[in-house]
Amino acid sequence: MAEILRRIEVPIGITIICTLLQILPYYFNIPPLLAVSDLFRRWMLLVARWATFVGAVTLMIVHSKNIQQQKKGWPLSIIVIGSIFLLMLPGLPLPEMGLGTKNAFFDYLFTYVYSPLGSTMYSIIAFFITSAAYRAFRARSVEAFLVLFAGILMIAKNAPIMTFLWPPFVPIGNWIYDVPNMATMRAVIIGAAFGAIALAVRTLMGSERGYLRGGREE
Amino acid sequence: MEFLISGRIFGLICLLIIMLSVVYYMQRAKGGKVPKIRRVPGIDAIDEAIGRAVETGRPVFCSHGIGDMRDATYGPQTIAGLGVLSHVAAKCVEIGARLIVPCRNPEVWPVASDIVETAYKAAGKGNEFTIDDIKFLSPDQFGYSSNYLGLMVRENAGANIMIGAYWAESMQLAETGCRVGAMQISGTANQLQLPFFIVATDYCLIGEEIFAASAFLTGDLSQISSIAGQDVGRILGVLLMVVGAFLSTYVLQLLKW
Repeated sequence: MAEILRRIEVPIGITIICTLLQILPYYFNIPPLLAVSDLFRRWMLLVARWATFVGAVTLMIVHSKNIQQQKKGWPLSIIVIGSIFLLMLPGLPLPEMGLGTKNAFFDYLFTYVYSPLGSTMYSIIAFFITSAAYRAFRARSVEAFLVLFAGILMIAKNAPIMTFLWPPFVPIGNWIYDVPNMATMRAVIIGAAFGAIALAVRTLMGSERGYLRGGREE
Repeated sequence: MEFLISGRIFGLICLLIIMLSVVYYMQRAKGGKVPKIRRVPGIDAIDEAIGRAVETGRPVFCSHGIGDMRDATYGPQTIAGLGVLSHVAAKCVEIGARLIVPCRNPEVWPVASDIVETAYKAAGKGNEFTIDDIKFLSPDQFGYSSNYLGLMVRENAGANIMIGAYWAESMQLAETGCRVGAMQISGTANQLQLPFFIVATDYCLIGEEIFAASAFLTGDLSQISSIAGQDVGRILGVLLMVVGAFLSTYVLQLLKW
């Protein structure tokens, strides 16, 4: 039995059934099918929540091993595990015990530790962009020159001193953003949508197997 | 009660046309008629990146984005990324490269680890598989990116392949990969992140190319031919846009008069 369940045809069959159960009720009014589709969506949420639990457990196992075997950087693993418990325990969904998202300590940690750390990581993107822009803005070819030229015009449009010195930077910048940029973006979006449909068709036919062990049998 | 839901019939017809054209080209390929499809340099460069990493004794990083597999927009990108991971894993096992897979999404992590483990087992090297290298970093976007950056620097990444749905962390990952000297291949259909990948990585798969990547990498002619099928959808889309623009510009104006 276990051998049969490990066969690649099993997940492919499940994928095809689940895909059809999501596509058909969108176009056809068949109440029993809609009910089954809703049930499958609820199952999916349950599986996703359990996967989050599995993820947390995996993280604990990996870092516990690091500590146990005193691998390189193991003191940092203590901080990771400590932080997980520090945020998890006051955030447990037990409001009758004063715990949960309304717990003052949890709120403090979230507002003054978690959020600032996230904002810090987000803000360092500015420095990465600067160094990437330096490389991108070297006019080594016609295409690179066009990027450089358009980039300079956009910088000029967004810099108050430049628009004060020469106001036409604003309509020029707006035109670059609204016409060539928008046209390219829409082409990418439309192309990606068709690509996703083709991927869905391959998945539905069971020929796209990369995400299922690469389509290999063990 | 209507059997077909009104307002969705035209969408269904379009979807059926695209699906049938994909099926048609796949069947045609089985009969030996394969349409000519341009090569995508980024896809061809994947093996080169892995080879270079092995030559320099450095690990290969392969990530599939930070999206899940459920979302209608980002799910296909994750699936495309996992398809690429499948090829990368097989190649790494074949030539003895260490593969590190950073994961953000807990529900994708078991799928990624299963892909890599099966690649090892299929090559008869199941005992060499190290689950610790399929790293679940953090479900938080910037927790994931800070971990990924640290890993790339500590492990001295030789190749960094990033195909999937990426958001603001794309610039951080690509730029750090560039700083450690990794050969980088990126790809996403999130159009706002494309400029970052284009400027900071060696090769970038743009939009639909990521969905074609796994088909190309399998080398299966019927899958490669399915890419031609989506072109029918593209032609249909462009025709509808032109007709729509004409109707709204001229015919509707005339009707108003």
